[in-house]
This record gives sequence, structure tokens and C-alpha cells, in this order.
Amino acid sequence: MTINPILKKDLKTKLRGWRSTILICCYVTLLTGILFLYFASSNMFNPRSYQSFNPRMAIDAYNILITFQFALLFIAVPAITAVSISSERERQTLDLMLVTATPARRIILGKIMVSIAHTMLLLVASLPVIGIVFFFGGIGFADIAKLLLFYLLTAFFVASCGVFFSTIFKRNITAIITTYIFLGLVTFGPFVGFLIYAMLHQRMPGGFNPVYRDFVTGLFPSPVFGYISFYFGSYGGYGGYIFGISDVQRQIEMLLAAETGIWKYMHPWIVNGLFSIISSILLIFFSSLALNPVKRKY
Amino acid sequence: MKNVVVRTENLTKRYKNTLAVDKLCMEIEEGEIYGFVGANGAGKTTTMRIIAGLLAPTSGSVFVDGIDVSKKPLQVKKHIGYMPDFFGVYDDLKVSEYLNFYAGMQGIEKNRCDTLVDSLLELVRLTHKRDAYVDTLSRGMKQRLCLARSLIHDPKFLILDEPASGLDPRARVEMKEILMELATMGKTILISSHILHELSQICTSIGIIDSGRLVACGSVREVSDRMSHSGKLKIKVSSKEEEAVKVLLEIPEIKGVSSAAGMIDVDVIGQDDTYADILRTLVEKGIPVISFQPQESSLESVFMQLTEGGNGNDN
Repeated sequence: MTINPILKKDLKTKLRGWRSTILICCYVTLLTGILFLYFASSNMFNPRSYQSFNPRMAIDAYNILITFQFALLFIAVPAITAVSISSERERQTLDLMLVTATPARRIILGKIMVSIAHTMLLLVASLPVIGIVFFFGGIGFADIAKLLLFYLLTAFFVASCGVFFSTIFKRNITAIITTYIFLGLVTFGPFVGFLIYAMLHQRMPGGFNPVYRDFVTGLFPSPVFGYISFYFGSYGGYGGYIFGISDVQRQIEMLLAAETGIWKYMHPWIVNGLFSIISSILLIFFSSLALNPVKRKY
Repeated sequence: MKNVVVRTENLTKRYKNTLAVDKLCMEIEEGEIYGFVGANGAGKTTTMRIIAGLLAPTSGSVFVDGIDVSKKPLQVKKHIGYMPDFFGVYDDLKVSEYLNFYAGMQGIEKNRCDTLVDSLLELVRLTHKRDAYVDTLSRGMKQRLCLARSLIHDPKFLILDEPASGLDPRARVEMKEILMELATMGKTILISSHILHELSQICTSIGIIDSGRLVACGSVREVSDRMSHSGKLKIKVSSKEEEAVKVLLEIPEIKGVSSAAGMIDVDVIGQDDTYADILRTLVEKGIPVISFQPQESSLESVFMQLTEGGNGNDN
């Protein structure tokens, strides 16, 4: 199997020199700093405090770290991909790519792989920091592996969105803004919609008594819905207060446990992961179509 | 009869209210260097982009080596090397990396790349810049690097859009030499340029495009002859210069005569037969003619005539 030439070129140029190494070091230092500040502010380093050996605090620290990484994924991946095609166009190298024997689909995939490779590099580099929570127990290797898989699928979706808008819009800035707006709508839109739906139904006779399937139907496109699977219930630390996720997570977990049949296995991250895969394939297809010069009429 | 490498049939491209290419029919035979001449906005680049598969025509077809570009674009791209009128380079790549990247894009196996890159760099005389970053190259070098890029997959047909644009005289000469070398290698070349004098030196055929229409095509000589009803003569006499001028002015086809130091410049309406009559008259009148040289119409003058719309023919 040959490596996608776009990925190969990008890795060669971006990883050359000290810039990438410094960036990774800064990122890991930042995560370590966040972790240290959390423990320090929680009085954990005080030998006289009873919290010193409270393992639940490690879980809250884990929640903070994965939330930070999740947010980073939404900030970094679009920044790379939303300019991927439009910058080639601005640099006047897009035509030179399109005139080669490489099909438009492979060019799009190359650009997506570039952003995923950079994101995964940062995520993998941060594993030793996340691994600190292993000292305290409660989180296993399988949890981390599932989390990485979910991040990978989400990065795939986010990157596909970025490349799609980069293909459609000629200017970098338009592509970036549209990507962020679209991702904002996909991420938070379903929650807003679900909330309105719940409020309207609450006024009706019998009130609003959702089952797990209702949550899935309403929230499946949102990556935050998938992320809930990895958010461990709060035990009183700061981690529990992040956007009130803890309450939603607890309710969803409870409803999921009550499900039967195949729905029992449809965890939020699996549902959202499937959505990410299908929508990414569609976005890649439409991006390839838009990029295909013979099909393009402008 | 040679193979036709490129054929366009009623090729038309319309942008909203602007007709960029209008029912263009063109044929380029194998081994030809076809000069594509036209003013800015005449439709040269649009035509070249359609042939390269970078733009869809509004109507009409393009066949490269018998393959329809709009139906099998990827197959056609294996036969085409395209060099646009801009550099399109990645400044953070080295020269050899740049070529290796495009070799990968063309699907060339890794084990062939190094040898291929070396031979191409030798062809475009950039071997000494193999490990230099692209942004350190001069304009002429970048242009040659782009030519090497377009040759990476050994295409049989090259589309070169203004390859000598913005180059200094030395770089232009170097580029011309490389193009001549490519022609000897059997490549078929479609080249556009504003430097008509240079085009006339290297092209075997030309096509003149005006407002999206091909107004003339054929060999440089054919087009000149077909379009030019007037010509110039340079006559050298050893003596009797004034008498020669008088004789010439009596010939009705001659519209103007000027002389200096035994050289007489004559403006004539007519072609070969008229020239023969003029020479016979001078000899009969006892004028000692040392040389008698009809001047070929320059591509510039033909181009000016055709694009003014005066004598343009639709093809």
C-alpha cells in the first residue's frame, strides 16, 4: 500500500525542524499544568487534608483533561482543514494537483488524513498525562482506547466538514467561518432542539418522560452526545460542573440501562460514531464532486 | 499521415454573458510544436485548461490521443503534461522533494522516483539545485522546475501556457533550447506565448485565436502566405542605384521604394509571380543586381492583420 502523497509531503514539511517538537512539548506541558493546578487547588498535596488520598478526584481530573482535548479537537482540526483546499487554490497549486492522475477523492482523503495525523499526534503525546489517573484506579486501558477511537471518528467528521467547506468556498476566511458555524450548529443545535421539544411536551398532559431512544433520535448528530459516554459521573470536584454534563450523563446512563435488545448496546459514542462515519463519507463524496474539474462548471 | 494527438470539436465555453471560446475546432498532430497565439483574453488559457481537463466546456468535445477528456479525464491526464502561466510551487519543499511529490501524485513507484528526478533535473539544467529550497530559486529556475514537474510522468503531449513569460533574455533562450530538445524527444507541444518572434522560430504550426475563435491555423509560412497580400523585397545593386529606383517605381505593383548605400527596400503588392516579374524587369533594364531577397511576413504582422478582424477567416 502506498502512502497518500499529500500526507507524506505534509508530514515531511511540518515535522521538519523544531517547530512541531516545540508545539507538542508546549501542549503536554499545558495539560500537565492544568492537572497540577487542579490537584493544587483541590488541596490534594496537603498531607493533612483528607482529600489527599481521595481517588475520585483523579476521575474529575480525567474529566477535565478529556474535555480540554475534546475542545481542542474542535478548534484545531477545522483550523487545519478549512484552509486545506482553499489555500492550495490561493497558492495556485490546486490545478497542478488536479491535472495529475490522482483522483479528486484521494486528494480530499489526503487532506483529511493530514489533519487527523496532527491531531492524533497531539492526543497520543498526551497519553502519559492522562495515564496519571491510572495511579488512582477507576479508569482502565479499554476506556482510554475507546476514547481515542471516538476522538478519531470525531476528528474524521470535523475534518471532513472543514475540507468540504474549503472545497466549496474559494477564500480561506469564508471557509473557516462557515466550518465553525456549521460545527457549532451540529454540536449544540440538537441539544437546543431537544430542550425546546422537552419544554413543549412538559406542558402537555402526562408531561415529558423520555426514554433512551428519544435522546438518541434527538441528539445523535452532536459529538457532545457521544462524548457523554466517556464522561465519568462527578463526585463533587470541579469536573462535575462542566456545562452541567454530569446531570445529563447520569440520566442518559440510567435510561440506557433500562433499554432492551440492540438498543442496550447503542451507547451514545457508538451512535454518534456511526453518524460521524456516514456523514464523513457523504461529505467526502460531495467534496470530490465539487473538486472534480470536469464536473465543475466554473 | 501522422496521428492526431489533440482534436477539439466545436469547443465552446461560456461564462454567463461572455463567450470565452466559440466553436473552436483544432487539430494537433504528433510531434508538432503548435504555437497558440492570441491577445490577452482571446481564450488561449481557457482552451488550454479545457484540454488539460481542468475546466468543463459548455459544449463541444476534446479528444487527446483519441480519448474524450470529459468522459475519461483520469486516463487522459496520464498523457498530458500541463504547465500553467504561474509557478505553483511549495516554498517549504526542496527541489527534489517537489518533484518526488508530483511523482507520487502521478502514481509513479517510489523506486523509480530518484532516477527520474535526476534525469529531469539534468534536462532542465537544475542538477546543482537538487537540494535547494524552492523559494531560493530564481524566476527562470522556478519556470524550468515547473517544466520538469509537467514532464514527471513522461507525457506525450505538453501544454505550456506562456512558459517564457517574465523571463530575462538568457532564461528565455534556455527555455527555448529545452523546448527544442523536448521536440527532438518526440513530444507534441501546445505552447502559447506573447513573444511571437520566438514562437515563429520554434513552432511547426500556429493557431491564431481572436475572441474565442480560431481565425487561422497551419504552418507559420502557410498562415503568412494565406493572409499576406503584400510583401517586402530587399534588393542589393552594385551600381546604378538611382536608375534602379526609377525602374522599380514604374512597376504598378510596387507601392514604395527607399534606398541607401546600394540597398533598396521595396513594398510590393503580390506574391511570388510578382517578385519574378520585378527581377526580370531589373535585369532587362541592365541593373546589376547582386542580391534579391523577398522578406517573409513576420508573425507579428500576420497576427495584427488577423486580430484586427480585417482578413480573419473562420475555421
